[in-house]
Amino acid sequence: PLSPSPLGERLCSTEEATAGSGTYTRHGFIFSSLAGCLEKRSEDSGLPVVSVVRDAESQLLPDVGAVVTCKVCSINSRFAKVHILYVGSTPLKSTFRGTIRREDIRATEKDKVEVYKSFRPGDIVLAKVISLGDAQSNYLLSTAENELGVVVARSEAGVQMVPISWCEMQCPRTHTKDFRKVARVQPQFLQT
Amino acid sequence: YVPVKGDHVIGIVTAKAGDVFKLDVGGSEQASLSYLAFEGATKRNRPNVQVGDLIYGQFLVANKDMEPEMVCIDSSGRSSGMGIIGQDGFLFKVSLGLIRKLLAPKCEIIQELSQLYPFELVLGMNGRIWVKAKTVQQTLIIVNILEACEYMTAEQRKQALAKLSGN
Repeated sequence: PLSPSPLGERLCSTEEATAGSGTYTRHGFIFSSLAGCLEKRSEDSGLPVVSVVRDAESQLLPDVGAVVTCKVCSINSRFAKVHILYVGSTPLKSTFRGTIRREDIRATEKDKVEVYKSFRPGDIVLAKVISLGDAQSNYLLSTAENELGVVVARSEAGVQMVPISWCEMQCPRTHTKDFRKVARVQPQFLQT
Repeated sequence: YVPVKGDHVIGIVTAKAGDVFKLDVGGSEQASLSYLAFEGATKRNRPNVQVGDLIYGQFLVANKDMEPEMVCIDSSGRSSGMGIIGQDGFLFKVSLGLIRKLLAPKCEIIQELSQLYPFELVLGMNGRIWVKAKTVQQTLIIVNILEACEYMTAEQRKQALAKLSGN
């Protein structure tokens, strides 16, 4: 049973129920921290769980250490800005913003890295979250592993490129080679 | 103008942001120039660059995804004629095709003009030319001839120069 509840409303005391997601306890009472719908679920062991839910499903947030799929939107000589599209294998309803710094692109030879030879705008990249970021809510990401890096990239001709090595991809139509930091995807995940 | 790596261009300083100057080169984005990219520049010895100065340099990084980056030294660290363009003189714009014609080896236009008056000339691949001669009038005459060379044939140019050197 769901009923709309405003933000900050005192729901009940901690003796009647336990705090679930979207709530917090203060001075022996449970308050809501989200503006949404109040949900009371009865657990078999002990007290019912009170939680406040916004939208029908809960938003999945990228956590530190999670592998995310993102799309490069702009590059700079010092970092690349990305839009985080998937966390693990679940798509996000609204994209988060992320930053991949120049020194986090590779694990070896960090000073010789050139962002232009690792990513280009429009590439799909597998990266790992290293920090939740600063006040501008930009997640800090890293591709400093063999399994992380560019997965899908298009050449200047508009055709999807085929990886040749960990640092090069080739266009099947024009046969031009481009530099990217290519991810070594496990063979069982590749679909032909 | 589309910036290309290795092109020598004339840029106008529009802003000083900490360690980096922003230059207008006539492209879609402003180019960045680090203060260390001059000959003999160190962290203590900064070049004397003000907003509005003219700089002759070449592109280090220029592609369609990133902001272009300029330097005033070549790969060996020498300036080879690049740097801040001095005071006075006249900056004007011409078409990119005329610049390439003027930069061709043994260009007749420049040889004929140099017989008229001595002058200093800087050609930027972004269509900008800087000229300085002894007097303002001579400078303006050279500017007018260079601008007109776009549409004049060789014959008309020789006639115009003959008329000028006769005066």
